Amino acid sequence: MAKLLIVDDSTMLRDMLNYALTEGGYTDVVEAIDGVDGLAKAKLASFDLIITDVNMPNMDGLTLISELRKVPAYVKKPILVLTTERSDEMKAKGKAAGATGWIVKPFVPDQLLKAVNIVLSR
Amino acid sequence: MAFDISKYREMFVEEAEELFESADNVLLEAENNGSLTEEEMGQLFRDVHTLKGSGASVELTLFAKFTHSVENLMDKLRNHKIEYLPEMAGSLIDALDIMKELLELEVDNELNEEVFQEKTKEQLIIINAYSDGKAASPEVKEEVVVIEQKVEQKEELDESENFGFFDEALDETQNNKPYGIFADDDVSNDTSNDAFGFFDDDLEEVSKTAETAKLKVHEEEDNFGFFDDVAELTPESNIEEQTPSTQVAVQKSTSPAVPATSSKKVDDKKDKTVKKAASTNNIRVNLDKIDLLMNNVGDLVITNAMLTQFTSTIDDTKTRNSVLERLELLERHIRDMQDSIMSIRMVPMESIYSKFPKVIRDISKKLSKKVDFKHFGDNVEIDKAMIEGLTDPLMHIIRNSLDHGLEIPEERINTGKSEVGTITLSAEQANGQMIITIEDDGKGIDHEKVAAKALTNGLIDENQYNTMTNNEKAMLVFGAGVSTADQVTDISGRGVGMDVVKTNIHKLGGALKLDTNMGEGTTITIILPLTLAILDGLDIAVGSQKYILPLSSIVESLQPTSEMIKKIGDGTQDLLMLREEFIPVVRLHDLFGVESTFEKLEDGMLIVVKSGATKVAISIDEFLDQHQVVVKPLDKNFRSVEGIGAATVRGDGSIGLILDILGIINAQLKSDKGITDSKRAS
Repeated sequence: MAKLLIVDDSTMLRDMLNYALTEGGYTDVVEAIDGVDGLAKAKLASFDLIITDVNMPNMDGLTLISELRKVPAYVKKPILVLTTERSDEMKAKGKAAGATGWIVKPFVPDQLLKAVNIVLSR
Repeated sequence: MAFDISKYREMFVEEAEELFESADNVLLEAENNGSLTEEEMGQLFRDVHTLKGSGASVELTLFAKFTHSVENLMDKLRNHKIEYLPEMAGSLIDALDIMKELLELEVDNELNEEVFQEKTKEQLIIINAYSDGKAASPEVKEEVVVIEQKVEQKEELDESENFGFFDEALDETQNNKPYGIFADDDVSNDTSNDAFGFFDDDLEEVSKTAETAKLKVHEEEDNFGFFDDVAELTPESNIEEQTPSTQVAVQKSTSPAVPATSSKKVDDKKDKTVKKAASTNNIRVNLDKIDLLMNNVGDLVITNAMLTQFTSTIDDTKTRNSVLERLELLERHIRDMQDSIMSIRMVPMESIYSKFPKVIRDISKKLSKKVDFKHFGDNVEIDKAMIEGLTDPLMHIIRNSLDHGLEIPEERINTGKSEVGTITLSAEQANGQMIITIEDDGKGIDHEKVAAKALTNGLIDENQYNTMTNNEKAMLVFGAGVSTADQVTDISGRGVGMDVVKTNIHKLGGALKLDTNMGEGTTITIILPLTLAILDGLDIAVGSQKYILPLSSIVESLQPTSEMIKKIGDGTQDLLMLREEFIPVVRLHDLFGVESTFEKLEDGMLIVVKSGATKVAISIDEFLDQHQVVVKPLDKNFRSVEGIGAATVRGDGSIGLILDILGIINAQLKSDKGITDSKRAS
């Protein structure tokens, strides 16, 4: 069973993500409230996929990704960024930080699952 | 699968309230000192950004649309694309107010494009003018309108990219992707309409293999195209390396050219987020779950008490004592556990305080009064369950202080005060109680005016009027229908607010105190129990029945002598004369319809109890044990009996009823209204 970490400062969005993922069969989902929390939790367990928001207090999503990529266990693990923007700049920055892909927010559950299935099957 | 949007909207509305509060408070401070720090700008942006993102996620499209414009401005501010001007704070506070209004309307399904235009038009002009680096002075407004139209068009384009286009994405070609794998060429491409994507450094290969792989694995899905091994990912890769190179074939053909708008460019200069050591080891737990846990521990307490009682059936003393010893240990552990759970329920007062600065600003602005709001005891903790019941009363009191208490600056100067009035809110814990005071340095309450009004309304009679102290008279503002405001304003003055304050505080098991001095100000003190979940109770026997009396309400207890008992009226009402004070006596037997075992009061016991400033003496048979009880609310199925507040389960498994002192006092007042006349007969 794949273990997922979702990082978002909005309780509501974490709930929505968690619901969509759980409904899609990913029942092992851990939530983190910001980058610092996410990094700490990522180090404590081994996650197969991390989905993170970009704009968060304490540590933003892009910093979280670059920090995660420095952790040996997460050098190759898929990380998806949740973003309200789909501009090229955002993508460039996401890629630069080391993200595997992006999901636009608001998201449709089926599309989220599709993206998750793909990165996890690679 | 689809979301239950209404459920998430509810969550969002709750979350939005916090975000608005946070943003409001930053802006209020900015308004006061004319500047914004980097950190504050970052926070403002994040708050508004989350409002937009989450709002859009629960399909509040118009709310998100307006919020996007505000976010745009905040984004530019934090990236120093534009300079912060002191007058922006006021405009942004107004913008937040519009956002709140839009949110409310849209949640209630009362918002359409027309209403939206009307509500936001003016503010958008100002916001967008600031965004374009122009001061929103009236002179530039006209000029701005033209620019505004362009901006709005752009905005609409933005919106279509940012949200509300998922259906389209599903129907359309690969270009409208809701997610994606990052590949170098993604960046160079016009993939702005992709709703998802994956990065991959293995671009050439990816773009070639994408189609085939996709066909193999996800035959019916053509919403995305790339997947490849992530192994090539390097954290070192940076933006400069991602120069436009190959285009992804599948996207090239149908990609609409989306102009890069100014708002997007802003991202170039994204600031480095400051890492702060923050308390992030938090989880949000539904209060109901904690209540349930508390209830479970309550059951544990009861089971423990049952076991303790059961030991009396053990004949062998040695065995009994060693069992009791272990049970004591268990009891200690349970008590520790109770304390731990209690600490989960506690939240700092700050969570209440933070609601006030905005309200105070708005009202004082409306009334042209100058106010300095001070608060102390931000870290004092309060039972989360009380917050809801406490916020409204505090809000009422503060509104009243602003409206009736504080004078307008001219008047203050004339009376030798500083032109800025002060409202001080403080909280402290003392003697197992929570003490909250609200103090203002306004003109004080005109006790004579209040008392006269109460007299006219029949709330008090001549007799009472003559014997009341000034503070007691002023205290009458908490009575129903008493307001000294000559004119009813929309802020306060209808005479309902303060009445509600009293009721709400009593509901929380608290009491109110009021001190006022004409010309100097008013201090209202609220005294609350620390928790609603556990109380120290005293078992009392009334005839064949047992009841639990909250220890905190007991003033004293005594065995009366016949000289202390006076009869008044038609001889049915007894008064206890205790140290020059007459206290009405309530025969619990009569109130609850229990057969009395004695006729004369001096044959039983009297306990003087009080709620707020009112005292009554209750007549009972005898005192029994004192112990901690876990308060369980009475089921709504039961008809409420005056004088009974809640229930608990005793050690022997039986139900114990907990007395409600306020209810007993009310019942007493009802049964004989005239009795209090002679309360201060001395």
